[in-house]
Amino acid sequence: MPVSRRRFLGLGAGGAAGAALALSGCGSGGAALSGPDQVNLWTWNRSVSDKLTTLAAKKGIPGDSSKKLIYTKIGGNYKQKILTALAGKSSIPDIMGMNSDVASYFPDADVFWDLRELGAESVKSEYLDWKWQQGVAPDGRMLAFPMDAGPTALFYRADIFAKAGLPTDPQEIAAMAPDWPSYLKMATQLRKKVPGSVIVPTMSEAYGELTGQLPKLYMTKDNHYIGDQDHIKQAFDMAYKVVKDGLSANAQGPDVNAIITNGKQPCQIGAVWWGLIYPVGSAPQTSGKWRVAMPPGGPGNSGGSFLAIPKQARNPQAAMDLIKWLQSPKNQASAFGEMQLFPSTPAAYKDPALAAPQKFYGGQRTIDVFGTVAQKVPGAYLSAYDDIISTQFGNEIPNVEGGKSPEAAWKTIQENVKRELTRVGVM
Amino acid sequence: MSSLQSVRDRRSAARAQADGSVKPSGLKRFGPMYAAVSPFYILFAVFGIFPVGFSIFLSFQSWDGIGKMKSVGWENYKYLLTDPQFWQSIVNTLEIWVMATVPMLFLALVVAYALHTAVRFKSFYRMAYFVPNVTSMVAMAIVFGSIFSGNFGILNDLLKSIGAGQVQWLTDPWGIKVAIAALSTWRWVGYNAIIYLAGLQAISQDVYEAAKMDGANARQTFFRITIPLMRPIILFTVITSTIGGLQLFTESQVLVGDSGGTGQSGETIVVYLWQHAFVQNQFGYGGAIGWALFILIVLFSIINWRFLRERNDDLGRKGRRLRRNSRAS
Repeated sequence: MPVSRRRFLGLGAGGAAGAALALSGCGSGGAALSGPDQVNLWTWNRSVSDKLTTLAAKKGIPGDSSKKLIYTKIGGNYKQKILTALAGKSSIPDIMGMNSDVASYFPDADVFWDLRELGAESVKSEYLDWKWQQGVAPDGRMLAFPMDAGPTALFYRADIFAKAGLPTDPQEIAAMAPDWPSYLKMATQLRKKVPGSVIVPTMSEAYGELTGQLPKLYMTKDNHYIGDQDHIKQAFDMAYKVVKDGLSANAQGPDVNAIITNGKQPCQIGAVWWGLIYPVGSAPQTSGKWRVAMPPGGPGNSGGSFLAIPKQARNPQAAMDLIKWLQSPKNQASAFGEMQLFPSTPAAYKDPALAAPQKFYGGQRTIDVFGTVAQKVPGAYLSAYDDIISTQFGNEIPNVEGGKSPEAAWKTIQENVKRELTRVGVM
Repeated sequence: MSSLQSVRDRRSAARAQADGSVKPSGLKRFGPMYAAVSPFYILFAVFGIFPVGFSIFLSFQSWDGIGKMKSVGWENYKYLLTDPQFWQSIVNTLEIWVMATVPMLFLALVVAYALHTAVRFKSFYRMAYFVPNVTSMVAMAIVFGSIFSGNFGILNDLLKSIGAGQVQWLTDPWGIKVAIAALSTWRWVGYNAIIYLAGLQAISQDVYEAAKMDGANARQTFFRITIPLMRPIILFTVITSTIGGLQLFTESQVLVGDSGGTGQSGETIVVYLWQHAFVQNQFGYGGAIGWALFILIVLFSIINWRFLRERNDDLGRKGRRLRRNSRAS
């Protein structure tokens, strides 16, 4: 059929109008990723148990076997990808993982379910309270459900400590170094007897350990900046003292592993995952020589993660049921056995997977330390802006280690923090 | 809209006066025409006008693209002007631009001249030189990444074979710039050569013949005739490569990543924009950077335009002088 020019133009206009309609169609609504009998879960690798997710994918989610789990491991820059998906308002999963930067999602609380509405609170008592609170936005909405926690302990090489004439028993170590000044005194003695010894790879690490033990951090709940106050300044000064006393290796990249492997750094305050990466991962030949003690300066936390349910989830209630099952004390304990994710449920600490003596730590029952610490973490309020603020500290602290005066660096940090917070409209 | 309306009114009024009858209303008369051209202006409104307008609004907000916007006044712009990395990204862009454009235009001229005088396989060469311009940039950046690779790159193998030391192209601050500039040069030489070739072909053979009669050698012909007559075309390529150079992005982003590699030395203005808007999800700030880039391009366009205008006058004078001289001799 010959197409006349008029008809051709008419078709063109119709096509354009159709395209415009289609475009506006994508814009609204916000399609869910899942089909009616699916629950989609997005997290990074090694954050949830493969064993459990495979089970839920095959047999359906507990309580509703008609719905199957689809678990996608997101590689690369996880957060960037998640934010892009959320900003695109399309193909949103039912459950998504959040790392220890959970608070940075608080301003976007509107796009997530308040998990209390889905009945999360029925299991609240099973979880560490401070951990639970970290997933709750300042207005009381519960944004994220606890996964693993990162209670810290003092890891140390008993053989090297013995060589330095220090006690090797965890109890005695804890009694000898209850706080940072006494810890540094102990480290100085170590350094005298075993020359070259350090206790941290960098000043940034020391600062991180110190701030992980604080009961308050950078912001108050009503968005006042308190990162320029004494509690932070003291941590900053103490971290600098570590450098001044020669107890930081100023190590970068692979050197951070090397100083653990060769024994130059025979102790560190770290979370369970630290022990897995460094002593176990890069110094397997030191098996049996490590111990853990209560951390100098008090219980702290480093890392840990959460699960949240976006508003666009197709099956929010099924997602909630799945989370409760996946993160039950029993299953958290099994995840610990699988990949050493430390449970946020105290009941799990009695599980054989955690309570058994650890060969790598000379047969010590490390849960005695980690379990105690986990229940005493002061749990500072984490704000949406902590990431921005800690980046400013993180940028400047290496300069101090490189020779910049700590006073000048402190001033630069505070100026930069004010600049950043002004831009996001908090100051 | 109102001005359009008034123009239409006046026109139809004029027409009504001319033939003494009243035509149907504007919408009825012109509706089909507007409908006919609607694919353009609907798409332009959706993908052109709206984003431009929205980015002005955005640049005064703090927004991660997900939650609520928060008005922050001029803070994004204040932050931008006081961010040393922003100024560094401008310096980086200009450095890479110079390193890419100068050899690029020179090579393009040489290639065009060679193509112009070539006797055989003319079309083949023209196509061959143009192929880089239509090749996927991302794919080529990956290929260049392996050419410039520090330990196993072809370029370092070549350097080693002639006894020169290895250069860590993709981790050294200047190496990164050289690699990005080389990629950009490689891509645009053929494109500019084709434009130059068109210019060369437009120069009348009479001028060359006259020069030959007067005993000019090839070098003299090239510098005294070809280059002056090509000047407007050369300036055109300078302007287009300035605009292209200021928007340099893919080369850097694929070669050295989101933040410009070592010392952020490969971070161009658009990479800076990309990093803040789409990696850190600060869309408001991204809007502000976009407008700063716009102002910068306007600035360079004005400089180029003045340059072009002056040179054209200059050329005109020279041309007259040339003619006078030839007449005198």
